[in-house]
Amino acid sequence: MSRIGNWLAAPVAAVLVALCLAPLAVLFAYSFFQVDFVTISTDPTLKNYARIAGSATYRALIGHAFLSGAVVVAITALIGYPVAWFIARRGGVRKSALLTLLLVPLYTGDMVRIFAWRVILGAEGVLNRLFLWLGLIDQPLQVLLFSPVASHLVLVYNYLPFMVIGLWLGFEALDERLTEAARDLGAPAREVFRRVTLPLTLPGLIAGGMMVFVLVVGDHLTPQLLGGASGVTVISAINDLFGTAFDWPLGSAIACTLLATLGLCCALAAFALSRTELGRSLAAGEA
Amino acid sequence: MFRASALAASWTLLIFAFMYFPVAVILIFSLNDSEIIAFPLQGLTLRWYESVVSDGRLGGGFATTLMVAFPAAILSTFLGALAALALTRYEMKMKLKLVFAILLLLPFLIPKLILAVAQLILLSELGVARNLVTVTLGQVIVILPFTTLVVASVLVRIDRRLEEAAVDLGASAWSVFRRVTLPLMRNGLVAAMFIAFVLSSSEVVLTTFLSGRAQPLSLLVASDFRFAISPALNALAVLIVTGNIALVLVGEAIRRRSERGTG
Repeated sequence: MSRIGNWLAAPVAAVLVALCLAPLAVLFAYSFFQVDFVTISTDPTLKNYARIAGSATYRALIGHAFLSGAVVVAITALIGYPVAWFIARRGGVRKSALLTLLLVPLYTGDMVRIFAWRVILGAEGVLNRLFLWLGLIDQPLQVLLFSPVASHLVLVYNYLPFMVIGLWLGFEALDERLTEAARDLGAPAREVFRRVTLPLTLPGLIAGGMMVFVLVVGDHLTPQLLGGASGVTVISAINDLFGTAFDWPLGSAIACTLLATLGLCCALAAFALSRTELGRSLAAGEA
Repeated sequence: MFRASALAASWTLLIFAFMYFPVAVILIFSLNDSEIIAFPLQGLTLRWYESVVSDGRLGGGFATTLMVAFPAAILSTFLGALAALALTRYEMKMKLKLVFAILLLLPFLIPKLILAVAQLILLSELGVARNLVTVTLGQVIVILPFTTLVVASVLVRIDRRLEEAAVDLGASAWSVFRRVTLPLMRNGLVAAMFIAFVLSSSEVVLTTFLSGRAQPLSLLVASDFRFAISPALNALAVLIVTGNIALVLVGEAIRRRSERGTG
């Protein structure tokens, strides 16, 4: 009778272990193997990790992935804040309608979204032809597609809803009277945001930011299909090592390095989150 | 104050326009009577849709997609329901619950490509051939966080007093579940299944690595969408988007109905 929860969770946990943790464990083991002509030698070695540490290319790829993640987090946070605030202040039906409308584009599918953006941004695309027709430009703008600009634009498009959901949850937990009090006491709008709204919605920002960050770092299709020469990412490097280059051990080692650094970032974010919760409960205790 | 509100309203409108802009563009040009995808528009036609519907290759891919998406939706909804019940309904040690929740989130947070290659290595180590079963199982694990969330969102709204009343009247735990909880969460299960179906049918990365020789629709259109641009592909994209959005909205409507029923 008691602890029915454990019995319900057990089969789900078993499936997760079999289909997620076990593959990752094998991936981790493979990162210590090496390719010997056409076979894979299972003598444990640290050579793959030494190669990653010694290679400026792989270090730069991982650095780029994290930079992309940070840039997209910053942009989505900036443009998402007013949207989340607006949605949080609507009532009942309107609020749920806005949230549904926000999430629906997530279900159009990766390939369709990428295709649509290629139609819009291509050299022969809608925007270029529109600008040519309007006489704004003489030559198609090449920078619109197959560039870092294109891939980051679409990364923002892909993951903005996750940021807005995080921020919206933050605003739902925010007591509107606190910002009113700050305004009544004469704080200008910027100070109200900086000293009341931002600290109190920080948990939402951290949660949304963490989701966007890991999703951007892990995105394979968007940079590859829209980024052009800049589309070589750490994820596409792993893809190549498992495909054409056929060096599974090195690919596994890069994947494990990336997962470890991502895990560290998530742990830091979780720690920051626990600190804000603590701060909030302390503030509530004082009040 | 009013000005800030008006600003936020117009900004929100702008952002929503941005979110729907790509869909609007492919919709407009799928109906445009011209080979060239450009303004000015040349008049209305349905010929692009006709060419998609008469493409037999896509029909075969669609059948393969259904063979993966139905089992994936049923299995991920079943497991998601178990997980959601464990997390919201029945007692579990707090620490165990936290570990379980993190474990559930893991497939969502890990880059899909890394999960796919990890599963690929495991399959090759076990000597298992890749087929529709392996791709279904691979998809179930990445869909599971979503179905859990949908079912849990319905469960947290069910009035606990209804279950307590049943217990007070002498019902066993099983009969409380079967006669009170299950009927109240049924809409959540249906909604989760719709969303799981959509997620499964449009999944590309895992499908590429795990499907073997089988070619579901998502892979067929992936190679089309990757290299070509044409009004017929616009029409195909619109059909996919319409199908997906319709399923998600029907699922949402069903989930909402349960909210009203218990609210």
